[in-house]
Amino acid sequence: MLGRTIFIDPGRCIGCQACVSACRECDSHRGKSMIHLDYPDEGHTVASLPTVCMHCEDPVAPCAEVCPAEAILITADGVVQEADPTRCIGCANCVNACPFGVPKIDLEAKLQMKCNLCYDRTSYGLAPMCATVCPTGALFYGTVEELQAERPGVDVSTMFAFGDTVVSTGVAMVVPGERRTPVPGGMLNLIEVNGRPTPGNGARA
Amino acid sequence: MAGTAPPPQGRPIGDSQVEGGAPGVVASTTRTTAVRASLIAGAASVLLVVAIVLGSRLLRDFDSALVPYAVATVFLTFGVVYRYVVWVSAPAARRMFVQGWKAALSWENLKRSPAALPKMIATYLGFQKFLGARSHARWAAHQLIFWGCLLAAAITFPLTWGWFTFTSASAAGPGYEMRLWGLRLFGFDSGSFLGWALYHGLDLAAVMVIGGAGYFLWRRMRDRAATTGQRFGYDFLPLLALITISVTGLLLTFSEMFLHGGGYEFLAILHMASVVLTLVYLPFGKFFHIVQRPAAVGMQLFKYTARRKGSDDQELQACKRCGQPIDTVAAVDNLRATMRDLKLGFDEWAEYCPRCKRVLRGTAYLSNVKRGFK
Repeated sequence: MLGRTIFIDPGRCIGCQACVSACRECDSHRGKSMIHLDYPDEGHTVASLPTVCMHCEDPVAPCAEVCPAEAILITADGVVQEADPTRCIGCANCVNACPFGVPKIDLEAKLQMKCNLCYDRTSYGLAPMCATVCPTGALFYGTVEELQAERPGVDVSTMFAFGDTVVSTGVAMVVPGERRTPVPGGMLNLIEVNGRPTPGNGARA
Repeated sequence: MAGTAPPPQGRPIGDSQVEGGAPGVVASTTRTTAVRASLIAGAASVLLVVAIVLGSRLLRDFDSALVPYAVATVFLTFGVVYRYVVWVSAPAARRMFVQGWKAALSWENLKRSPAALPKMIATYLGFQKFLGARSHARWAAHQLIFWGCLLAAAITFPLTWGWFTFTSASAAGPGYEMRLWGLRLFGFDSGSFLGWALYHGLDLAAVMVIGGAGYFLWRRMRDRAATTGQRFGYDFLPLLALITISVTGLLLTFSEMFLHGGGYEFLAILHMASVVLTLVYLPFGKFFHIVQRPAAVGMQLFKYTARRKGSDDQELQACKRCGQPIDTVAAVDNLRATMRDLKLGFDEWAEYCPRCKRVLRGTAYLSNVKRGFK
């Protein structure tokens, strides 16, 4: 099973932005938040979704694979690090290749930045900043056994379907116990959500 | 994330293989690249040896005391070219390499904006403006190291190859002549400021490098952003090497000026050993960024020229969902081709901006995995 990692449960997220503030305090990217908090159906539901780097395992780190400067290192513990500032040329290949929409880029500084699972903390056994402050457990750091002891009946998935491709990740998402298929990474031809048309994709908002 | 992922659920994961083809195919591709890289690197090294022999007028001007340095530069050439060829053979780097050179060598681009390339070389490679956007202190320290090393290399490489020689202008006077490949460049008075600067160019370079490298070393020990995940061989060794070279180099001058040459031979060997080891290490560690960095210029020129084609807006790829510009059309196409090379089967997602990718995933999770509140 999974080792210690982050488990994301969007169903618990209340969109309070505590994780965004806490992320800013991380020593490896002081003052800049790497976590994304999105409101997928804003104005219609209060649903929100926190996104940290999923630390893809298979295919291993697409961001690193498409990097022309060999700037993204994957440490032996499976953590996909942010770009090495010495090498990063700021081409944004990783930003646009990541199917989860994780990396950020500073075009002035020619530097990519992304969640590194608070490597300054997790490599010493501490929980990442976001999981430490999350008031609802939408971001949980620990083992899957610890998670299930607190939340009976839930399961986790590290499989995400992008079209016909399934990406397996090091960070997991919480799914209902009976679920056996990969979590959808998004439906590109999605026309309607909850009976309303989505903007783009041929339908007008 | 120690441990393994849970067993495949539903669809098998076999369709998301990292490497294309069978293991045998991958191994043979790697071998072909290694052979090609060795051949090109070997040819480059031979070329340098020929240039050394010819440039030193058939070794007449070659200083045999500097043989270890000259040999190290031949090894350096082999290492750098080998590593470079392997690097640009990987799919992502190869495509960016081709696009960068296409943009740089395009006659049309040159006609339309002749200043673009020289300007980018000056800002990215010379003055490194992007470093200033990261941190002013790091920019200043890096500029000191950069110009210091450049000055030192410009002086020492031609000297060790026997390309530079200094001859006296007359039998009696203080006049000196500097020659390149035996041809007179200019004459100067050995007592003049120019003479002093020429003799002490390396001392000046050493002071600059010690200042810059010293700051970075201090930062490596104090700054928590820098200390996260730092490695001795990658992060400390280059700084220690630069400082060792500079300090032993300055000590040579010190020995000559104040100790009447005391300990000079030992110091010379120490200095030589530190330089040779650094040159041989250069292609493999942090220093390889010196060779890689021009890719930033190629990448920027590629994007810049793509944006200038036709009207400005047409050449930007808009997110298919929200319409915000993602990147130039050429850059997105280049990335998608790279992803297909790498058998990453989700290049279609590159047509969406990062936020829309997250929102699409969130929406799918809401409607497909856990129904949210309505």
